[in-house]
Amino acid sequence: MKQNLSVQIVFPSYELPKEYLTVIGQIDHTIITESTTPTLSSKNSIYVHSGLTNLPQFDFLKDLNVVIRCKFSEIIHGGHLIASVFPFVRRLNIVMTDIEVINGEDLDGYNNTLNSLSDVILKEYVRGHFVQTNLLTDRFMLDEMNNCNAGIETITLAPDGKFYICPAFYFDSGDYGLGDSCFNVGDLENGLHIPNIRLYDLEHAPLCRICDAYQCKRCVWLNRKTTYEVNTPSHEQCVITHIERNASRSLLKRIQEKTTLLPNKVIKEINYLDPFDIKPNY
Amino acid sequence: MSQQTIFLPWQEGSAKSITFIVTKDCQLACKYCYLVGKNSKERMPFEIAKGAIDYILHHEEIFPDESVVWEFIGGEPFLEIELIDKICDYLKIEMYRLNHHWFNSYRFSFSTNGINYHEPRVQEFIHKNINHLSIGITIDGTQKKHDLNRIYKGNGKGTYEDVVKNIPLWLRDFPYGGTKVTVSSKDIPYIKDSILHLFSLGIHEVSINCVFENVWQEGDDILFEDQLCDLADEIIDLGLNEDYQCSFFNDQIGKPLDPTLFNQNWCGAGKMLSIDATGNFYPCTRFAQYSLRDKHAWIVGNIYDGIDQNKLRPFLTLDRLTQSPDKCIKCEVASGCAWCQGENYDAADTPTIYQRSTAICKMHKARVRANNYYWNKLHRKLGIEEEKTSKHKESMCSEYNSYC
Ligand code: SF4
Ligand code: SF4
Repeated sequence: MKQNLSVQIVFPSYELPKEYLTVIGQIDHTIITESTTPTLSSKNSIYVHSGLTNLPQFDFLKDLNVVIRCKFSEIIHGGHLIASVFPFVRRLNIVMTDIEVINGEDLDGYNNTLNSLSDVILKEYVRGHFVQTNLLTDRFMLDEMNNCNAGIETITLAPDGKFYICPAFYFDSGDYGLGDSCFNVGDLENGLHIPNIRLYDLEHAPLCRICDAYQCKRCVWLNRKTTYEVNTPSHEQCVITHIERNASRSLLKRIQEKTTLLPNKVIKEINYLDPFDIKPNY
Repeated sequence: MSQQTIFLPWQEGSAKSITFIVTKDCQLACKYCYLVGKNSKERMPFEIAKGAIDYILHHEEIFPDESVVWEFIGGEPFLEIELIDKICDYLKIEMYRLNHHWFNSYRFSFSTNGINYHEPRVQEFIHKNINHLSIGITIDGTQKKHDLNRIYKGNGKGTYEDVVKNIPLWLRDFPYGGTKVTVSSKDIPYIKDSILHLFSLGIHEVSINCVFENVWQEGDDILFEDQLCDLADEIIDLGLNEDYQCSFFNDQIGKPLDPTLFNQNWCGAGKMLSIDATGNFYPCTRFAQYSLRDKHAWIVGNIYDGIDQNKLRPFLTLDRLTQSPDKCIKCEVASGCAWCQGENYDAADTPTIYQRSTAICKMHKARVRANNYYWNKLHRKLGIEEEKTSKHKESMCSEYNSYC
């Protein structure tokens, strides 16, 4: 902690022993916890909901940071449930848990859902509540890539005492098709060693470095799973993200028309949904 | 014809190369063979080949390339001549029946060890398909050099005599036939004699490269350079450069590459497609399990589910800069320095194709020095004052003078 690092701690669904809590209390930290965990109600915590079904029952304290993890189809069919959360929270992150199995048929549905969510967000902005969501508002706040940056800016220490590029590599220890991989990148005894670390940075990602969907998480775990390479996203990943980018562009225009916010911000119009289609031919 | 163009494959750039790994068996046990998993059991059933052909020909949208090269490799492909004949017949019939755009623009291509080239069944196939055929026979040079590596499985006897007796027949069928020579550490002392020997057999094109694996010993680069400079002397002094080509000498290599202008990948993996006996697809044969030492096969689909385009994306977005270490990006002699994506993958610290192996570095530099020697000598002989376009070239000249 000497370098003033901040630690994100993923809490289990059961209560932690007191001495753990004492140690955690001594460091700069953020708690990530399931929404059903009983004892936590800090504004610095991030509450994670699994699925949409229990959302209406949840008693949202004002200005919480909330994460919803759900399937792509749930987003398409449960847009109204997601929309109902916006008035209560400071920030809502929506994480799709099955992006790798999405196919082309659902993309129009996704676009429609984003447009309905935009209607609700616009209303919130007009009444002065500037709610944030990764799917729609992050892009118009950004001027450069703002990715997850696992392996470069963050690293995960798992309960087995080993370091991983990110928690996903710990929890899903499959071989992803190319055998046992090197995503366990050291341990407490021997320190951290990330082979081919350059492949996690933007400059070494040929598609992402030419892309302006700045809000994209650029999930290296998903990349590895879908394309075998941590620096290469799947087609579906890029298309989904560009649908969000374009919906964000429309929302920005509407906010600019209805309010005095972000008067000079421009997201340019583009004619592709996958940067693969505009990659340079050397 | 320039030194450059003579080695370009058929329909360079616009032809899709589709490879059937028809067998993993071979009569030989070459010492440098990269096929670590060769065996006599895995043979492609016709139904698998048919499934691959049906998938490919019915998906013209993912194979828009103007032309196609249907390649057959092994092991030794001609061990499966009956199967190959059946596959080729099926291909022709289907391309015609489907009115496929490849029907008028296809080739069958083989790389063979030449042992059974003369056999009636092989000859029959050749004459049946001669207008759509390229066949390369691998012969490494002099008997001594060839038999050093290319030996029979089992008794370890050299194969030179059995191959060389088929060369006249092959040159009758393919008067412009070329051969590929692969150089490993132990072959270096025989390079000059071997290439001159291949020329003397009537082979006009010798395509030659150093293996990409990390096999090089201390001092190999100097020996290599000496061999190439001696070869340059012989070729130029005897006037062989008029009629014969050796790919080691090429006037485009050995220059710095501007990263903004020359960022293309070297290797065609991913733009090609290989199919094995179980019906799996690979970006190139080098990614099939039998070609890999340390890594898992990189499968991009199969004949039942089709190609997973996501598994090809890393290949199709790969460029020179992203995979190269800093020393290669700044390298003064980078042009012509080759790599093999499969070997890069096999040798990498993690399972990635984005880590370029530079095991060949000192050999490329030696080649560049000898190459400069060759061209300067040739220009001098022809009375052409070489344009000294860069200081770099001058410094290379003084460097090679000290060696050759
Ligand atoms: S949309 Fe695709 S190319 Fe763009 S940052 Fe995300 S993963 Fe990379
Ligand atoms: S491997 Fe060596 S010779 Fe080749 S480009 Fe890199 S530094 Fe230059």
